Amino acid sequence: MRWRDASIGAVLCLGVPPLAMAATPLTTTQIAPGIYLHAGVQAEATAANEDAIANVGFIVGDASVLVVDPGGSAREGEDLRAAIRQVTDRPIRYVVMTHVHPDHIFGAAAFKEDGPEFIGHAKLPGSLAQRGAFYLRNLRRELGEAADGSEVIVPTHLVATTEAFDLGERIVTIRAHGPAHTDTDLSLLDERTRTLFLGDLLFVERIPVIDGSVVGWLHELDSLADFTAARAVPGHGPVAVDWPAALVPERRYLQKVVDGTRLAIRQGIDIGEAPRHVAIDEQRDWLLFEAYHARNVTAAFKELEWE
Amino acid sequence: MRRMAMILALSVVAAASWPVSGHAEVDEATRQARWTELRDQIFGDRVVEDGAELLAIDAATRAEDAAIVPIKIRLGDGLSRRVSAVYLVIDDNPSPLAGHFTFGPAADPREIATRVRIDDYTYLHAVVETRDGKLYGIARFIKAAGGCSAPAGKDQALAIQRLGQMKMSFTGEPRLGEPYQAHLLISHPNSSGMQMDQLTRDYIPADFVRTVKITYNGAPVLTLESDISISEDPSLTFAFVPTAPSGEVSVEAEDSDNRHFVHSWPVKAEPGS
Repeated sequence: MRWRDASIGAVLCLGVPPLAMAATPLTTTQIAPGIYLHAGVQAEATAANEDAIANVGFIVGDASVLVVDPGGSAREGEDLRAAIRQVTDRPIRYVVMTHVHPDHIFGAAAFKEDGPEFIGHAKLPGSLAQRGAFYLRNLRRELGEAADGSEVIVPTHLVATTEAFDLGERIVTIRAHGPAHTDTDLSLLDERTRTLFLGDLLFVERIPVIDGSVVGWLHELDSLADFTAARAVPGHGPVAVDWPAALVPERRYLQKVVDGTRLAIRQGIDIGEAPRHVAIDEQRDWLLFEAYHARNVTAAFKELEWE
Repeated sequence: MRRMAMILALSVVAAASWPVSGHAEVDEATRQARWTELRDQIFGDRVVEDGAELLAIDAATRAEDAAIVPIKIRLGDGLSRRVSAVYLVIDDNPSPLAGHFTFGPAADPREIATRVRIDDYTYLHAVVETRDGKLYGIARFIKAAGGCSAPAGKDQALAIQRLGQMKMSFTGEPRLGEPYQAHLLISHPNSSGMQMDQLTRDYIPADFVRTVKITYNGAPVLTLESDISISEDPSLTFAFVPTAPSGEVSVEAEDSDNRHFVHSWPVKAEPGS
């Protein structure tokens, strides 16, 4: 039996593309016992950064490993996988995609050979159906051959409310949220260390992106703030931050966008003009403000004009 | 309507044979040739005169979100008294004729606005048709890309639940005999038919608002024939002139699945100033 497993392993290895062989392990920090994180760069996706712009990491239990998130390209996923293998030989049983955005999902392809459960929000398959092909086309355009191997991985295990996963004497609770940053947001709590992974429900330093519901997002933040955690892991920013103090800037920004946009709508300012009037004093507080703020106000306008 | 359908069909054929190229490489001559081709399809051998002095397109040179690009078309006083219709053409969109706006007697046609999808760096053309059959056109270049294939809908569940709902807001107070501006929203995904279902590898069928008829007390204000170039949750700003103390403005919309949506709002106008 043992030799058969080994030979299957050998065959699988032969089938792995060369880039997998060339994987350079991501540098990671152990932010709590058994939790390793790699900090994404605070930039847009490029060939040079291989779309490694989001925080990615893994949790090691006594029996298995959980990945959250797998990264922004198959190459980043391979590098993350190599980093895991530097730490442990335990099987990678779970790969969590915290939401639909490309910088969080396209690394999943690198974990196919592990045969894990790919975990996503109950709405993730529908959202991938709408967006996956478009995101992949964009990734290829932005990254060129650095996008090779990246593909849309459809989740094999869906979370609609709350579900616990056992990594071996280590329970990770995954929670599905209502429309907020996107309509496919998950958060994770590692019960052993009380570490709260928020995906892009939490941006630190980098401007939040509204792609779900800004009102819903504020609502989710209200309920999250009551949560007791030793630390939080944002989707972008430092890999471990104080909880719930780290929520403050994001909440302030989102609230200003809501209040300012509502006022603009009341004053008859149209959707094209509104970005120049709403929350512009936030500019100095956020990275990539120029790239995303006007889109955020446009998104908020489209949502709030129906109130 | 038949002509519109024919133009759309032509457009789709044209788009299919249109070379796929990055926006940076398309030169000015190619863009002009594209417009000539479209102009011939839409207007035949009729002359489109330069309308630079008579009308304007307001839009940001670089769009923030290519799926929601606000566009305003303004007509000068001279032209607004003669206008019968406006064509809005987005040259490099897969279906370039974005909208055909026909004004009725109750309209004040000086300003209309909507939101469009833009698929690639492109010229936008507005062509005004007058009641005596003259055509005046202007162009504006817009930098935006990906708006047609971009996935619409940030909250899919809400979009389905709200399908066909309408919202109307007004600017200022209505006065008899004076233009009164209204802003209409129709909740509709306006799917472009260019998004692929990753599971089935099928394209999600186009499903869009095809016509919007606006009337005031039964008199036509504006009819819009539109298609997939109009953004999700179609938006339309227009003006009409109230003539009765107690009237109503009505909207009748029909989509490509032949769904009908009808809504009315009361308009209580005070005597003019």
